[in-house]
Amino acid sequence: MPKPAPRRARRSPIGLAVLGVLGLVIAAQSRTSPSRAAEGPIRIGLSITETGPYSPPAVFELQGYKLAVARINAAGGLLGRPVELVAYDDQGNPSTAVQLYQKLLTDDRVDLLVSPYQTDLTSAVAPIVNRAKKVMPSLAANTEAFSGRFPYLLQAMTQTARYMVPVIDLAAAKGYKTIALLVQDTQFPQQLAAGVRAEAARRGLRIVFDETFAPTMTDFSALVLKAGASHPDMIVGATYLADSEGIMRAAKSQKIAAKMFAFSIGPVEPEFQKGLGDTAEGVFGTTLYFPTLKTAGNAEFVQSFTAMFGRAPDYHAAVAYASLTVLAAAVSKVGSLDQTKIRDTLLATAAPTVAGDFRLDTTGIQTGYTSYALQWQHGKQELVWPADQQTAAPALPHPAW
Amino acid sequence: MLTVITLAILGLLWGGVYLLMATGLNLIYGVMKVVNLAHGDFIVLGGLLAFSLFAEAGLNPLAAFPIAALILFGIGAGVQFGLLEPITAAGSEGELRSLLATFGLSYVVANASFLVWGSQFQSVPFLEGAVQAGPIAIPAGLLAASLAAFAATLLIHLWLTTTITGKSLHATAQSALGAASCGIDVRRVRLLAFALGSAMAGGAGALVITLIPFQTSTGGELTVHAFTLIALGGLGNYAGAWLAAELLGLTEVFAQFYLGSNAAAAVIYVVFIAVLVVRPQGLLGQAGRV
Repeated sequence: MPKPAPRRARRSPIGLAVLGVLGLVIAAQSRTSPSRAAEGPIRIGLSITETGPYSPPAVFELQGYKLAVARINAAGGLLGRPVELVAYDDQGNPSTAVQLYQKLLTDDRVDLLVSPYQTDLTSAVAPIVNRAKKVMPSLAANTEAFSGRFPYLLQAMTQTARYMVPVIDLAAAKGYKTIALLVQDTQFPQQLAAGVRAEAARRGLRIVFDETFAPTMTDFSALVLKAGASHPDMIVGATYLADSEGIMRAAKSQKIAAKMFAFSIGPVEPEFQKGLGDTAEGVFGTTLYFPTLKTAGNAEFVQSFTAMFGRAPDYHAAVAYASLTVLAAAVSKVGSLDQTKIRDTLLATAAPTVAGDFRLDTTGIQTGYTSYALQWQHGKQELVWPADQQTAAPALPHPAW
Repeated sequence: MLTVITLAILGLLWGGVYLLMATGLNLIYGVMKVVNLAHGDFIVLGGLLAFSLFAEAGLNPLAAFPIAALILFGIGAGVQFGLLEPITAAGSEGELRSLLATFGLSYVVANASFLVWGSQFQSVPFLEGAVQAGPIAIPAGLLAASLAAFAATLLIHLWLTTTITGKSLHATAQSALGAASCGIDVRRVRLLAFALGSAMAGGAGALVITLIPFQTSTGGELTVHAFTLIALGGLGNYAGAWLAAELLGLTEVFAQFYLGSNAAAAVIYVVFIAVLVVRPQGLLGQAGRV
């Protein structure tokens, strides 16, 4: 059955006149705005989790961005204009982040964008950023946002699947053969575990135990007992901090031995050692950055970051700093703020940064950044692998309990 | 066989830890018919206090235990005096209002803790080794926490049944009106019960943070877990809570080992529902009391 056509409101002559005047005003504004903007600063917009439970790493990112802006300005700005950061607090809430990026794009009309903290928030803002055709170097480790759906999003962080590669590499170098894999049943650890399985297969290591556990689990005794029963050379956890501590506690108190204990997230946090004490000794973790890395400009970066914020940078600070620096370099190279040209330049860039070599594949997945294995030795984190970056030799095998 | 014995020991010990976290909630419910929804946040607060005492002053959790308990005793007394006692509505309306008040309190406690300690998981290294019993390694920390739980439950039981104050608590639990008519100061008894229940939460936190890392937002899960346990045992029943704790601990450990970790989380609640279908009053609860 045909639906009746919707009734259209007839426009009155007065309404038309008002519209006409408005149009003129807008046209006049848009004529004057380019020249005004050319004198003003280049504005770089973002939202970041400045408050709330997820704020500590995000604040590192904001500080990384701030340092990058300060250094660009100290070196004479970008395209002859000073650079300014327009940052709002999204409190870790994806829907708030969407509203803020909408505001950045429509109200503030920022010239460039950088990303919020975390995959969830990046995924949330991806559609509007992409629709506005704004390039956004993104600090998200999971790859689905960069698989072609959002061509203006470029991954500016090591991809999840690569996190444990140096650990597997070290194990292979030591001749270890078997892995017990314990995986938290959430998205990031699952993707990470897939990376471990693939790399282990490539290097000829066998996964002899592979089990997931709920993110709320606190009692790891049975899981670790079971993992130990397969007598693996290594116990590897695709975990966060609390799980990695739970697994190590269970291993020590039940005397479950392995030649190597390694976790994705956990040992990288200072709280791992504070919470476990001696049990943390000898445990391996992964990190995307280390202050002693011999990457381009790293010593200078660590020095200025420490001077500006009174603490050493972590990997969040490093990748944020690197992403804004790389974006600015692409703008300089293009010589304008043409977003498509900036994106194409970034896709073709292979730039050394403090966080490693920034290099993308054709869809914008990060293929240059890698990760590093660290180990707790004498109450301190040491970077132990790859060998050319190490601050100490890896101590292996893990002593019996 | 060795595996089964090991699992049974681990299950019983974890049962003790769960009992430790639930006894305070049970005491408060028994006397006041109030489910303190801030209970888990009190446990976390006690744990984080122990963490700070360890990190700043080098105090081990056994020394921090009475301090955390004392501080939470004070907080509990304050809450009862300033928040719950002024709720004068009687019957189910009063219970609902008290429930909502403690719900709000849980947010206040969790967010105040967040301001002090931030959001990171914290834990305290203590008794991380094993006690070797023949071929079986028994986790020392678990053993200590379980023994503390059994001791606390036993002491509470003795205190309630043998001392005058304990008996007046018990009397108030049975009938506030009856107790008042016998000359018992019911207000004072309620104040004592809530403060003592909170102190037990704080003390439990100081020990449990050596086994499970706490974050300021962990409290909600702990409350649910503790409530599941006391509901399973029969609300306000101490022997029932002990039985329920062991049942949950054993179920969890055996399900984890034989069915997988993901299944274990579900199995616990299947057991919970199954018990409540057959015995709605809980394992040892009296019908019609709840």
